[in-house]
Amino acid sequence: MKKFILSALFLAASLVAFSQAKKPTLMVVPSDNWCNNNGFLEDYDTGGRVVRVPDYRKALQENTDLNLAISTLNNLMAERDFPLKDLEQTLKNLQQSQTEEMFTQSKSGLELAESPIDRLLRTAKADIIIYLNWDVKTTGPKKTLTYILEAKDAYTGKSVASAQGVGSPSFAAEVPVLLQEAVIANIDNFNANLQRHFEDMFANGREIALEIRVFQGNALGVDLETEFDSGTELSEIIDQWMYDNTVAHRFSKLNMTENFMSYEQVRIPLYNDNGMAMDAEMWGRQLRNVLRKAPYNLPVKLMNRGLGKVVLVLGDK
Amino acid sequence: MKKTLLILLATLFAVSLVNAQAVAKKKANKDTERFRYEIECAGNGAQGTFLVKVWSYSKKKQVAADQCLKNAVHGIIFKGYSGANGCVAQRPLVTNPGVEMEYEDYFKSFFDSKDGNFRRYASALNGTYETVKVGKEYKIGTVISVRKDELRKALEQAGVIKALNAGF
Repeated sequence: MKKFILSALFLAASLVAFSQAKKPTLMVVPSDNWCNNNGFLEDYDTGGRVVRVPDYRKALQENTDLNLAISTLNNLMAERDFPLKDLEQTLKNLQQSQTEEMFTQSKSGLELAESPIDRLLRTAKADIIIYLNWDVKTTGPKKTLTYILEAKDAYTGKSVASAQGVGSPSFAAEVPVLLQEAVIANIDNFNANLQRHFEDMFANGREIALEIRVFQGNALGVDLETEFDSGTELSEIIDQWMYDNTVAHRFSKLNMTENFMSYEQVRIPLYNDNGMAMDAEMWGRQLRNVLRKAPYNLPVKLMNRGLGKVVLVLGDK
Repeated sequence: MKKTLLILLATLFAVSLVNAQAVAKKKANKDTERFRYEIECAGNGAQGTFLVKVWSYSKKKQVAADQCLKNAVHGIIFKGYSGANGCVAQRPLVTNPGVEMEYEDYFKSFFDSKDGNFRRYASALNGTYETVKVGKEYKIGTVISVRKDELRKALEQAGVIKALNAGF
């Protein structure tokens, strides 16, 4: 009897845990425009091509107003029981783990395995990025603050919430005071937009992106135009699977060649058949399992890109 | 005999006084039952509060003044306000229009003039009132500070609105 009660309690606890959808992480970062205006962009060489990327570490170390704005936002969101991922702490953790990994060796002298993609992915990431931008216009003794707060889904690039405006002109207030006022005055409208985004997610499923690629020169010679099931191309088979496994059959195919296919606005259920909270990786695993089995028998590499994006590469592991 | 008459008169006077107060209260509620008011931004409040100016209407000055707190809280929950003079427009806490009917009993008790909880979330800022005579009515305006964060939490706990992290 005791065993039965314990099992029932365990089952109930599991169901409660599973009934919670996976919570997206949010992080505030200064916008590229703000970084550019304030001299916090650095040049980054990507194989001969120089691109300018924001130097968040430098910005946080040198700009007190930015720290204040991020800290105010963090506090306000924590009060709504939705704490943000802190950019400064995330950057510090990344640096710490990089240092630790440099000195990690096995007893026989083996180092940690790391592919170039592992290195590339080791950046400050969150599911929703909140871009913060402000500018102060001065006319004589009068200061006016213009601000933009915009949250974007890191996987689909869609704007999920925003708040912007021009603060009232001030003769006496310093920039940090104006900035703090702007953040406090706008946070409720911003959160209302964010809540609408979450409500849409609960009603219509999580919106994710899926990419399907092919390993060049794979041993099976398979690509997305390979035919199965009496003349049906692999891309069509995947389209049909998408239709069957999305909420209300909602997905958009963005591009398609024999080596590359990408889907956007893919609405996946928040929970799987067992009631377990589902993200893009878990959902993509279902497609991978189908492709692995007969009649396809394809080796598929699955790459997780967070809650909202998954990449499947066909032809090898 | 004279003594009995005096006691009777005193009792009658007391009863009529209580009755008059009850009638005034009832009238006040009747006047504001439809929540006839205007709400506008009165500046940037302290963190966790909204600063609003509320204009309430009634045939009696005192009735309109008494109802300003109630109307301010009602406005933050159901109306929101537009932005002007450097103020940021704010949406109402309740965005679903059906909620007021769905939680009718809750709001009836919440906005009860005698012991409604609405008083916990609002306070008159300086106690001064602006009075405008509009036809046979008075329009009374005053600045009220509404503790919107606490108000939102109370509504979330009552299930009237969802918390930002609901479902996660």
